Amino acid sequence: MILSEAQIASLAEQTLARISAPADAALLLEGSIAEGFGNSRSDIDFLLVADQEADMPTMPTIFFVDGRRVEIRTRSVGQITRHLLDVAGHRGRITRLDEHLLNRCQRFLRGYPVRGADLIRKVRDNLAYEDFAAVMTKWWAEHARQSVRHAVMLTALGQPEPAAGWMRAGLQQAAKSWAARHGETYLEPKWLSLQLDRLAADPLVERYRRGEATAADLGVTGCDERPGQLTVERPREVTTWQIGDRVHLVRDRQDVFVLGAEAARAWRRIVWGRPLVSPADPPGTGDLVAAFVRFGLIRVAWRGSDITPRLPLAAPAGSVTPAPAMTQPILSISGANPTHPRSIDLVPLPAHRFAAAAMALVWGNVMVENAVEDLRGALDREQWGVAALATARAVNGGLRALLCAHGVSPLPSDPDLIHRLDLLPTPQPRIAELARSLSDGTPDLTALAEFVTAVRAATGGDAFPSSFDSADGWQHTLDIGYDWLRLGAYLDQQLPLDEAQDLLSSGGAQPHTTTKEAR
Amino acid sequence: MNVLVTGAAGLVGAEVCARLTRNGHHVIGLVHRVRTLTANNGRHVRAELVTGDVTLPRLGLDEPSRRLLAARVDLIVHSAAITDFGRPRETYEAVNVAGTANVLDLATEAGARLIHVSTAYVCGEQDGHILETALDARQRFGNHYERSKFDAELLVRKAAAEGLATTVVRPSVVVGATRTGVVREFKNIYVVLKLLSEGRVTAIPGHFDACVDLVGVDHVAALIADVAENRADGLTLHAVGSSVSMRHVSDVLAEYPSFRVPRYVAPATFSPAALPGVERAYWDRMLSLYESYFRRRQTFDDTAAAGLRTNRRATNGPDQLRKIIDYAVRAGYLGAPLPGVDEALAEVGR
Repeated sequence: MILSEAQIASLAEQTLARISAPADAALLLEGSIAEGFGNSRSDIDFLLVADQEADMPTMPTIFFVDGRRVEIRTRSVGQITRHLLDVAGHRGRITRLDEHLLNRCQRFLRGYPVRGADLIRKVRDNLAYEDFAAVMTKWWAEHARQSVRHAVMLTALGQPEPAAGWMRAGLQQAAKSWAARHGETYLEPKWLSLQLDRLAADPLVERYRRGEATAADLGVTGCDERPGQLTVERPREVTTWQIGDRVHLVRDRQDVFVLGAEAARAWRRIVWGRPLVSPADPPGTGDLVAAFVRFGLIRVAWRGSDITPRLPLAAPAGSVTPAPAMTQPILSISGANPTHPRSIDLVPLPAHRFAAAAMALVWGNVMVENAVEDLRGALDREQWGVAALATARAVNGGLRALLCAHGVSPLPSDPDLIHRLDLLPTPQPRIAELARSLSDGTPDLTALAEFVTAVRAATGGDAFPSSFDSADGWQHTLDIGYDWLRLGAYLDQQLPLDEAQDLLSSGGAQPHTTTKEAR
Repeated sequence: MNVLVTGAAGLVGAEVCARLTRNGHHVIGLVHRVRTLTANNGRHVRAELVTGDVTLPRLGLDEPSRRLLAARVDLIVHSAAITDFGRPRETYEAVNVAGTANVLDLATEAGARLIHVSTAYVCGEQDGHILETALDARQRFGNHYERSKFDAELLVRKAAAEGLATTVVRPSVVVGATRTGVVREFKNIYVVLKLLSEGRVTAIPGHFDACVDLVGVDHVAALIADVAENRADGLTLHAVGSSVSMRHVSDVLAEYPSFRVPRYVAPATFSPAALPGVERAYWDRMLSLYESYFRRRQTFDDTAAAGLRTNRRATNGPDQLRKIIDYAVRAGYLGAPLPGVDEALAEVGR
């Protein structure tokens, strides 16, 4: 150790003087210094072990003694015993053992007793150190196996740099496993070089340091570099929803991704259970598939077992989530707008609001279409009151579409729509002006057409797509409405689905021949 | 017990033969052409095979053979039937109705008990909770198959009234094994799933809350084997599994990246004439046969069956659907469709 027994005793005495500790409590120096590692900047970590069953506070108390940072944690005998027995009695997949639990056990088993050595020895009897070392050997080996398999997968997908990173991580974990087999169980990887120094008599250490040792050399089996055993598998909750010709993915019923055309083609080629890579894959597929893996949109299995790479004590597990794509408007009739043919863009709306806004956008279209029909009929018969209401409905439909396209959901109520254009990311003074004059003045098809054109311009042309130019286009809009219903049903939108089907149908039943005349 | 199983080479028939032989019975399988029987799991079934045809008088057997058969059998399981859709009405009448009449003649002559395999869909298009005791409710039928099975049940009831010991077992839509999804032939619902998932048909006239019942072939065979052991004379038993709504179909198909999900269009306004040419052909020739199933809202009572069966009914519809699709994907029946024109051109342009 870098500290003498006298120095430790002095630090312990000064520390105990600052806290109220039970007289019969044991004290342990633990962590890197107790292990024989550490340096002048290392913390002094004490563990106070109270001879009681009831739990003690787990937060450490921090002091500065003789210019050193000292942390003292408190645990009861009951707490530590439970930790040790949890490890001793663990069954099932070894990596389910929590790293913090293992760390606490390791530090306790390998700490230096300062006071109450008998009590500490008695508690340590719950888990023999050689048994703990065997657990750590398997635990690190499984992590190493997963990291190397992940590296093999990335190589198969043509990702050499991340593959090299994971291979290095895997070999380091394999070295930790090998070190644990030889009694070196300290968890944090940062002192691995010193752990290996103590095992340097074995020539494997030198081979590892020269980068010549394989995972198998270090005792980790089951990760040969044969990508043929990799298959693509279904993740827990990812679904595909095509709106028109645009492909959207919903992850965990929360996140929506929109795929560019090329990414969508790569996605559509995926079949669960089939090999991850195929000679028939077009160039560039690997990058996209690697991104699907990274975002948790697919799983990859190694002979049927999931690949679950992790860096314990260094990085959280699980899928990566990219920053949301900030395209405006967020939505069109056909869904979100991908930024690039190869993009896998996260939509900046949670799934249920995305679907709600999109369906409201479709209804906005239906409203405008029906209101324009009513307006024409009313003008033909000089029903001015009916015409005024129809105009107001058309304006509200347009404003709904405008707000929805920018992600406003739920919408303000109809009377409030015109006053809530401040919810838009950029002001729309001309639309506001037209909306006011149409709502208050004489019904006017020309002005309404200008309003629709202005909304179309403000939404990049997609809030009112070709549906407003032809009967076929209108039918296309209705078809897309049916597409949205499927997603709405999946996300349990509060929508009477069958009635919605009928609404779409009645929207499509409008007489298109006269619609054309109106335009 | 000596058991004659008609339609022994069929999906349900072979599985019934496997279970009955496993239970120690001597099984005589009536078959058309096959020389061996294969259970759903691919294993050979050791049964005595007799070549015959239920549509013919005496089941197509010569008189001595028929007399010998009648003298031997204690129980007849009548599972021979045309179950796929789209055949001429006369075919269903010949096999499903006249075939049942011929089997009833044999059962009467032999004094044998009869287990008649019908379908839960003798209820036709009537919505609601369908009781096992219900049969004639002046229902409208979705296709010739349903009508023929209804008529066959009427014959069985008449024979029962005249003293024949009969039990009617009504499976719903028979699919792969409950636990594994394994099935040895892809018919009926599998064809529908293939056309929809490959986007051959993109829109169907249906309701999200319409539902069909899927039952594993093992569950059906197990119930029949249970009835063979424990008589249920005079009873009708629903061999049903889990209810799968059209919404479930949509949600589960969406779990497969290469699959298309159909649009459900309000039935009142669905017009096949509006479909593009090739899709129209698929609709007319295949999916239109199943049209009424996309809008039915039926559930099936199985109180009587529950009192007799020894295995548990699977009740998670989406899970059952997922299992049968997973198996069909593994077997290569479902999966990646051929690339569309746009995709093919995009690949060429690289």
